[in-house]
Amino acid sequence: MEGVSYQRFPKIKIREVKDECMKFELRNTDASIANALRRVMIAEVPTMAIDLVEIEVNSSVLNDEFIAHRLGLIPLTSERAMSMRFSRDCDACDGDGQCEYCSVEFRLSAKCLGDQTLDVTSKDLYSSDHSVVPVDFPDSTGYDSPEQRGIVIVKLRRGQELRLRAIARKGIGKDHAKWSPAATVTFMYEPEIHINEDMMETLSLEEKQSLVDSSPTKVFDIDPNTQKVVVVDAEAYTYDDEVLKKAEAMGKPGIIDIRAKEDSFIFTVESTGAIKASQLLLNAIDVLKQKLDAVRLSDDTVDADDQFGELGAHMRVG
Amino acid sequence: MGLPRPTDSQEEPTVDQLIDKQKLAAPIKSAVDKFQLLPEFLKVRGLVKQHLDSFNYFVNVGIKKIVAANDRIESAIDPSIYLRFLDVRIGKPSVMVDGVSEELKPHTCRLSDKTYAAPILVDIEYIQDERHGIKRKLTKADVQIGRMPVMLRSRCCVLYGKDEAELAKLGCECPLDPGGYFVVKGTEKVILIQEQLSKNRIILDTDKKGNINASVMSSTEATKSKTVIQMEKEKIYLCLNQFVKKIPIMVVMKAMGMESDQEVVQMVGRNPQYAAFLLPSIEECASQGVFTQQQALDYLETKTKKSTFGSPSEKENRALAILRDIFIANVPVKRNNFRPKCLYVAVMLRRMMEALLNKDAMDDKDYVGNKRLELSGQLISLLFEDLFKTMITDVQKLVDNILDKKRSSRFDFSQHIVRDSITNGLERTLSTGNWDVKRFRMHRKGISQVLARLSFIGSFGHTTRIQPQFEKSRKVSGPRALQPSQWGMLCPCDTPEGEACGLVKNLALMTHVTTDEEESPLITMSYCLGVEDLELLSAEELHTPNSFLVILNGLILGKHRRPQHFADAMRKLRRAGKIGEFVSIFVNEKQSAVYIASDGGRVCRPLVIADKGVSRIKEHHMKELMDGARTFDDFLREGLIEYLDVNEENNALIALYEGEATPETTHIEIEPFTILGVVAGLIPYPHHNQSPRNTYQCAMGKQAMGNIAYNQASSFSSLHLIGSVLLWRMDSLLYLLVYPQRPLLTTRTIELVGYDKLGAGQNATVAVMSYSGYDIEDAIVMNKASLDRGFGRCIVMKKYAAVNQKYENGTEDRILRPQKTEERERVLDDDGLAAPGQIIRNGDVYVNKECPIETRGPLKSAAALADTRYRPTKVTYKYPEGESCVVDRVAIYPDRNNNTCFNFVIRHTRRPEVGDKFSSRHGQKGVCGTIIQQEDFPFSERGICPDLIMNPHGFPSRMTVGKMIELLGGKAGVSCGRFHYGSAFGEPSGHADRVEAISETLVNNGFSYNGKDLIYSGITGSPLQAYIFMGPIYYQKLKHMVLDKMHARGNGPRVLITRQPTEGRAKSGGLRVGEMERDCLIAYGASMLIYERLMLSSDPFVVQVA
Repeated sequence: MEGVSYQRFPKIKIREVKDECMKFELRNTDASIANALRRVMIAEVPTMAIDLVEIEVNSSVLNDEFIAHRLGLIPLTSERAMSMRFSRDCDACDGDGQCEYCSVEFRLSAKCLGDQTLDVTSKDLYSSDHSVVPVDFPDSTGYDSPEQRGIVIVKLRRGQELRLRAIARKGIGKDHAKWSPAATVTFMYEPEIHINEDMMETLSLEEKQSLVDSSPTKVFDIDPNTQKVVVVDAEAYTYDDEVLKKAEAMGKPGIIDIRAKEDSFIFTVESTGAIKASQLLLNAIDVLKQKLDAVRLSDDTVDADDQFGELGAHMRVG
Repeated sequence: MGLPRPTDSQEEPTVDQLIDKQKLAAPIKSAVDKFQLLPEFLKVRGLVKQHLDSFNYFVNVGIKKIVAANDRIESAIDPSIYLRFLDVRIGKPSVMVDGVSEELKPHTCRLSDKTYAAPILVDIEYIQDERHGIKRKLTKADVQIGRMPVMLRSRCCVLYGKDEAELAKLGCECPLDPGGYFVVKGTEKVILIQEQLSKNRIILDTDKKGNINASVMSSTEATKSKTVIQMEKEKIYLCLNQFVKKIPIMVVMKAMGMESDQEVVQMVGRNPQYAAFLLPSIEECASQGVFTQQQALDYLETKTKKSTFGSPSEKENRALAILRDIFIANVPVKRNNFRPKCLYVAVMLRRMMEALLNKDAMDDKDYVGNKRLELSGQLISLLFEDLFKTMITDVQKLVDNILDKKRSSRFDFSQHIVRDSITNGLERTLSTGNWDVKRFRMHRKGISQVLARLSFIGSFGHTTRIQPQFEKSRKVSGPRALQPSQWGMLCPCDTPEGEACGLVKNLALMTHVTTDEEESPLITMSYCLGVEDLELLSAEELHTPNSFLVILNGLILGKHRRPQHFADAMRKLRRAGKIGEFVSIFVNEKQSAVYIASDGGRVCRPLVIADKGVSRIKEHHMKELMDGARTFDDFLREGLIEYLDVNEENNALIALYEGEATPETTHIEIEPFTILGVVAGLIPYPHHNQSPRNTYQCAMGKQAMGNIAYNQASSFSSLHLIGSVLLWRMDSLLYLLVYPQRPLLTTRTIELVGYDKLGAGQNATVAVMSYSGYDIEDAIVMNKASLDRGFGRCIVMKKYAAVNQKYENGTEDRILRPQKTEERERVLDDDGLAAPGQIIRNGDVYVNKECPIETRGPLKSAAALADTRYRPTKVTYKYPEGESCVVDRVAIYPDRNNNTCFNFVIRHTRRPEVGDKFSSRHGQKGVCGTIIQQEDFPFSERGICPDLIMNPHGFPSRMTVGKMIELLGGKAGVSCGRFHYGSAFGEPSGHADRVEAISETLVNNGFSYNGKDLIYSGITGSPLQAYIFMGPIYYQKLKHMVLDKMHARGNGPRVLITRQPTEGRAKSGGLRVGEMERDCLIAYGASMLIYERLMLSSDPFVVQVA
């Protein structure tokens, strides 16, 4: 079997792309790749987040650490993050987080003068770099008045003041969740649903209806014209087995057969807004590649080739 | 609830309307939904109403009675010189500052170690003696005789009747704080409710030898005594402390003038059975040669305890005096008429004989109806009475001393009232908790305790706690067992584990504790209703069948032939408001007696009255209540609701729900979940849990961190920025949660108490599965990303105090401006104190203090002292290495000795770490076993990733089904956007969502009906073999954290005397290889290890000899 490659050519079919979320299909690969992609998206795609806060004045009701924690969790636009340096291996500034290559400075200064409580939001953060700013949600559908938007940091009452300097740095979600660009990354196996039409014919309309209704999600329906049970949305199926159980209870096991396609996944990615969902995917693939490169190129790998044998050859080819 | 709107209205639907729709869609509940009564009840009475009522009673009535009973101070030398108290009242809490009275606020007292007290003011009338024997009668109003600590939110408190906004203005008081405690020297003190056996009642029980005892604990204003009538070897004796020996009962009867044996037999009952029991006693009496009253008295005279002092003339009639004043002292003897006492003894004898014939007639000491609760008002009143009497004797002595001397100036009685003794006595007793009242032979410890402020709910639990009078060490199970009569009065769940289990109890939600009520109107009322006075009846008639004794507060009033009729009439009067609402009328068929009780300390609860099973509360009543046109008191006044005490409950047939009522039903419960107390009320679906789990949760709910109060803590610098002085709590230790949440699955109690506003936990998404092996033995696996985002994050605030001491030679400590040369003085400000907002680490100095070397000896001017005469006593901060804390606040105030005090509140924010303790609301505690990255955590195809993972082995043996339903309900609540309810026993009345309904909601939102989800492994990406039960559960973080407990040592300090390593973490002590560890090593055979541990690591010492 020497030299036989198991290389596969995964395909991605994008179904839906918005700035903050996307859905795509990943085909012709296995769970390990799909999961690696998911894990990298959550934990290893770098973003910017506030990491150091210097508080000058804080007379708000929340204490300094509290505010620092809240600031850290505010997502910052980080398109530039991939090209920036981690402050720990920044040559320009010895990693003290003061230079433009690895850090961005923010300032916040708010004081409540009126009788109404003042919401200090992420909009009050002034960045030294226009490309790294707190995430804005332009299409939050008219929930609040326009100036109210932004993430609330603290509320001030008359006379209270908050003044601080914050430094955002590049980081990854593995170190702290604030650097994770992904709100949700999940995938499911694509279900394959077969309806045994012959057996289905034997059911009465009521029986069909009860079979259709037994699924908590809307997977099946009855065609109003042909009165046949049809699959309306296979992906709505949550692998809950309810339909199968129902079929069994009706004494018709095998009337519906559901299998998970082992090699095709449906991904849902939601971004925190730090980077666009599509970019998140691309960055994740980049990071994944870099990681694989690191494995492939290191001397250890070559040494270990003998041990890995076939796998080593496979990787050299790919 | 607004007026009904037209349905076709064009306006946007308001929130109110949406709620209304929900209500309309809700299934039809019991005929009338009476739940609304409960918030109304709590609004009227408050949650700690028993304390407030009791204290208010003392302030309004009790104190006046005490002063009226001792209203005269007379000089023993010249009785015409006197002082008389006309009236007494308690003023507004205030303090004298430089001769000016200044209003006190409770929070000021908390912060500056003051006592929240109000002046006790009296109006006096007194004689002024001019020099030449001319006496003038003068009156003076508002003379202060002392200061009374004031219960917060009581009638004389400044917070009384204030609403939320007013409270906020009034010195930062938390509106959710229930009050019911005192502030003494800056600490909050609760007087625990004391449980004791009822006074003045006949109690039958058996002693260790199996003899039947009938005992009466008499308690009147004048005397307190215990009378026991005992049956030993078929003979009946009287045991009384004043007699050296047991006295045959017939002798006692004869001594009281009941010379005829026949009459005694008649009184006990002519039935030969009873006469037979009496026969041995009669024979014994005759054998002693006692036949007449005089003989009996002479006999008793020989048996009295000889007191060492007292004049011989007094000794003459001691026997009679004892019988009159001490023997069953609660039965008054008027004009030497002993007949009521004889009758009382006869009733006691009769009860004993009935008990002999039928063991059921024995009294149960654990029966709640035989118990009385002593509340803060009564305890303070005892104390005040003692102090007041002491003050009177003190004043008298003082005045006699002055009058004795040849005086030149005129004598003004009013100048000699001692003020400090009452103030100091009250303050000392409240702050130590030791009630040492010699006058009443009372020596009790731990009556007042520092209010537990660990969690909001914990302080509630503390104010409703009932402490027993018995010693805890007794190994009996009787008093610890759950009594059926506790139903609705005492919480069945809330009791501690361990030695006090079952003895310390807690009040239920609706319990009311009565206060004393005037007896005389009740007596006249009874006679008017046909009670025949015993004086007019013959002995024979005492126990004639078909007629009932009428007994008021243990005092026999007479007989009534139609007891049921009489009881009905009395109850009618009570419902009409003619007699007090808390008077209980109880017809005891077994004892053929009607018991009327109006004494204080009985527990009772409100119930809806039903006529032949039909509730008196109709739909329109409830509607009026909701519209605000009717209050709880109106319900009471109109006789729709009444209070029943434990005894009267025996005459009632109480239906749980209106639907279950039969024609025999007399009452209907308001809400079944009120049988639980405040603390147990937090548990969702407690009726689905195994009972001990609820008890465990009751103990743990008090350790959960969260919010304490609205005024708990805040940023330091708001103090000087805002014009009005804002003051925040400075507790010695405070645990706060950074992001507390209200539980997704609430109960009605939670809303009533305000736990939804001051929560102590967070809604965590829990997956019930096994993960990684670090979850055995109840450990939980936590998601690192959740912790990063603030789950379980807490703030620990600790107060550190320092005093700038003044010494007797005029020198004092001084605080120096730091040199700032040393690293450890980094946090100091220019004033020598740590600056707020500074990060402080282990070993940092927070007070740069120096203290004079010479503090005694000749007086020196403090200013003139040279620098060399001081030695530095810097106060350093000690904390685990590597942790960084922040100085939160610094308070400077003078203490009572005018020394300057510094309080530093130091704050530490902690995120959960391995070993921190967490618990759900179902007695399921566990430590954090490991923290796992989010990407390794399992996830569902919706992208849900749990916050923590709990091992399923926690379920089978614990049987906490409530927790599973909480998970389901929480999941449904999250997906449909409505808070779900899980009140105890709430399913029939709609206060708890049913599992069926929850499942339907889940299915409608695309979840499986059983709450299980398909989960993918975060490590491999493949789906897990089993469906995982996953959803939100409210988790509490408990105060036990590793950081405060971890400890290890190598070489370290040793004890001076033994030279062995010290003990305990605080002294960085060694870890002991104890007896059992030693045994293990011996059994294993590791002899060298034992040698090393026990000898080399502990005891060796090298010493130079000679």
